[in-house]
Amino acid sequence: MLAVLALAACSSSSTGTGGGGSSPSSSAAAGGAAAFNAGNTGVVNPSSTKTDATLNYAMSSTPDSLDPGNTYYAWTWNFSRLYATPLMTYKSCPGACGNTLVPGLATAPGTQSADGLTWTYHIKSGLKFSDGEPITSADVKYAIERTYDRSVLENGPNYFQTLLGDPKYPGPYKDPKGDLTSITTPDATTIVFHLVSPFPDFNYVAAIPQTAPVPQDKDTGANYQLDPVSSGPYMFQSYTLNKEAVLVDNPNWVPTEDPQAEQLVSKITLTLNVNADDIDNRLLAGDLDVDAAGTGVQAAARAKILSSPTLMKSADVAPGNRLWFVYLNTKVAPLTNLACRQAIEYAANKTDLQTALGGPYAGGSIASTTLLPGMPGYTSFDDYKALSQPTGDITDAKAALAKCGQPNGFTVGVAYRSDRPKEVAEAQALQAALAKVGITTQLHGYPSGSYYSDFAGSPNYVHTHDLGIDFGGWSPDWPDGYGMLDELVNGNTIVPAGNTNISEENNPQINALFTDAAKPTTSPAQQAADYGQIDKLVMGDAVILPEVYGKGLLYRGSDLTNVYAYAPFGMYNYAVLGKS
Amino acid sequence: MITFIIRRLLTAIFLLIVVSMITFGIFFLIPRLAGQNAYELATQYVGRNPTRAAILQMEAKLGLNESLPVQYWHFLSGIVAGAHYNDGPSVTYCPPPCFGYSFRSQQPVWPQMVSAMPVTVSLAIGAAILWLLGGVAIGVLSALRRGSIFDRFSMAVALAGVSLPIFFTGLISLELFSYKWPIFPNVQWVPITSNPALWARNLVLPWVTLAFLYAALYARLTRAGMLETMNEDYIRTARAKGLRERTVVVRHGLRAALTPILTIFGMDLGLLLGGAVLTESTFSLPGLGQFTILAIQNQDFPEIMGVVLLAAFFIVVANMLVDILYAVVDPRVRTA
Repeated sequence: MLAVLALAACSSSSTGTGGGGSSPSSSAAAGGAAAFNAGNTGVVNPSSTKTDATLNYAMSSTPDSLDPGNTYYAWTWNFSRLYATPLMTYKSCPGACGNTLVPGLATAPGTQSADGLTWTYHIKSGLKFSDGEPITSADVKYAIERTYDRSVLENGPNYFQTLLGDPKYPGPYKDPKGDLTSITTPDATTIVFHLVSPFPDFNYVAAIPQTAPVPQDKDTGANYQLDPVSSGPYMFQSYTLNKEAVLVDNPNWVPTEDPQAEQLVSKITLTLNVNADDIDNRLLAGDLDVDAAGTGVQAAARAKILSSPTLMKSADVAPGNRLWFVYLNTKVAPLTNLACRQAIEYAANKTDLQTALGGPYAGGSIASTTLLPGMPGYTSFDDYKALSQPTGDITDAKAALAKCGQPNGFTVGVAYRSDRPKEVAEAQALQAALAKVGITTQLHGYPSGSYYSDFAGSPNYVHTHDLGIDFGGWSPDWPDGYGMLDELVNGNTIVPAGNTNISEENNPQINALFTDAAKPTTSPAQQAADYGQIDKLVMGDAVILPEVYGKGLLYRGSDLTNVYAYAPFGMYNYAVLGKS
Repeated sequence: MITFIIRRLLTAIFLLIVVSMITFGIFFLIPRLAGQNAYELATQYVGRNPTRAAILQMEAKLGLNESLPVQYWHFLSGIVAGAHYNDGPSVTYCPPPCFGYSFRSQQPVWPQMVSAMPVTVSLAIGAAILWLLGGVAIGVLSALRRGSIFDRFSMAVALAGVSLPIFFTGLISLELFSYKWPIFPNVQWVPITSNPALWARNLVLPWVTLAFLYAALYARLTRAGMLETMNEDYIRTARAKGLRERTVVVRHGLRAALTPILTIFGMDLGLLLGGAVLTESTFSLPGLGQFTILAIQNQDFPEIMGVVLLAAFFIVVANMLVDILYAVVDPRVRTA
């Protein structure tokens, strides 16, 4: 016990002159210098100098796969840009600028046909894989074809299967002589996608790592993850499952053709299965450069950092590209009544929910909208006083209860994921807040692995178990209204299992706006306006109770260069990091 | 002696088969009894938003749609005869012992375990040497100096050693000797073939942490055994014959006291070779213990089966060796 107390005393003073006291206010970097939250608005330690250094990443678990065609996590999509260049990518710049789509392998964004059913891309000529072979449009087509065999590559998203034709195409492994006819390659640098219906967001789909080229003769299926052929600035030197991946420079990468990436170090290591607290301690000690997961430090390190002005200079509370929220189901009585749902919106204590999620530094900032700040169409509005009265508005809640005919409150079930400690705390916080206005909640915990498939995501189960309130969260696959809202509130996405429109929102006005935004003739500005309007209607219908715009306290390794929070993935931009 | 060894071998094989059946039952049968069908089981291994067709494909690929006896037979036959696996563009042969393919990574389980083994073996053997030498030496000295300050101090430290959990002592040692005073910075696995000095340096903290717990146990055991043995008549006789004290203590006293310690050592080492879960997790060592945790977290049944069988194998072999060692030390055991 004495040793623990001694350690606590020692660690709080850290390596700087400070210790305790109030945290310094965040400030934009002056000339790229380190400062608290400097990485949110500017590039910290900007540099284009290549060194012989080794950039060290660590991860507390294992990736679902390092095969760019078989992964569905933000950090792997970010990390894969080191060795896999998709057709489109995001601009490498700090702040909201990072959400801008720019060409990757392609010469320009795709050209949409007048009817919206065809998208054409041209690939930069002269590009080569790490083995020296030329990159052609056929390699991009093959990269997508192989993802159709879900028994081999089961992890990645299935947008292509949904948007393109050929629903019965089994993939090149089961049908080597077959052909995905909805993708054509008229020449070595042209690739054309034939959609079954217009999809204006297709450029975002083209930014998914599944479009990174894969040479068919080097494809080893389930084993490709161990040594993917590179089209990015680095290539695999070795990868031992569950242990470590090592990347070295790709000699055939052309920097002028890939301005969104850099090759500033000679080696990158990714060590897997490192204890999460050990990662943080190594970061603070300077033995590690990046926590690959990019979701923020653990509680112990957070306390150390926030109590030390010196350590805070190397930290950023980065927007995490995620919304934590609660669904309010429109089919479970008495939440079928709008005013009853609005009572919950008013009564919820958003500060307590934020605390349950980790507070302002680890959880996020209190939310009042369903679109994330910085997304096209986002405007700040606060229908239920989440920002002006974050501890809850009891008066308006009671008025809403009276309006919905439940002046003394009502009873409703709450679903949450019982193996997520934060969600358990959220559910308890909500229960306590609603009890103040007479709303009695019965908490039901479910395993996260089957939460969407069997419980909250099964409308039948929700109805029969009166689960009017259901916890959830969403991280969009791409940063616009479609990516954020379609699966959550579009009436056409309600399905009997794996349902993510758990509120069962089916507002014809909202559905029409989604349809309008999807028209090929709708301009990007009008799209943004449509999604902004959807956001307002969703909040007006009170089917979503926003909790926080997710954030994480990231710590920059002391020797890192070119560091900034990257909006599309909610963590540092791995494609440009260097080391002094 | 040969008959004795053969008997033990056959018993060991029988035990391993029983362990495999029980483990298979736990992880493959119980979910079915709880109401989960093959389709629902397969859903866990198909990524997010899978289509029905994708789930059915995975169900077939993982063999979940086959009856349990057939699945068990495939598992057993794979260990003995190997198996074939479709990895996409080709069909790969998995030579024996083939423990199947990971449901998550779709990589063969055995090579992953082989890759993790050097880490666990390094950790276990190193710590075993430390705790055996240190624990026995301290136990002997404490027994010989019964009631002295050394005896009381060492038994108090031993009490602390058995009381403090490994993750506590491990985290304290990391905090002090890795982060605060970087005597052992950046503790991570380095293969001995890559850099023997770094391999040893990075294992010092895990060795000492693990050995601290076991040394405490062995010190107390040895002390108790020695106290009992040193009061025997034959020890007095040995002294009376004029033998040197060291000979009396080591050859006569310690040898007799070692029998129970050998038993426990065999079990402890066998258990550790199956994976020192807490130590590996604390120090982020990618050994069999960490592999086990990941397999359970991921509900990766082939990996769970593989690591449980391997752990059982080590325990069975270790106990068999201890039994054989007994027979060498004590001829009465051979004819029992």
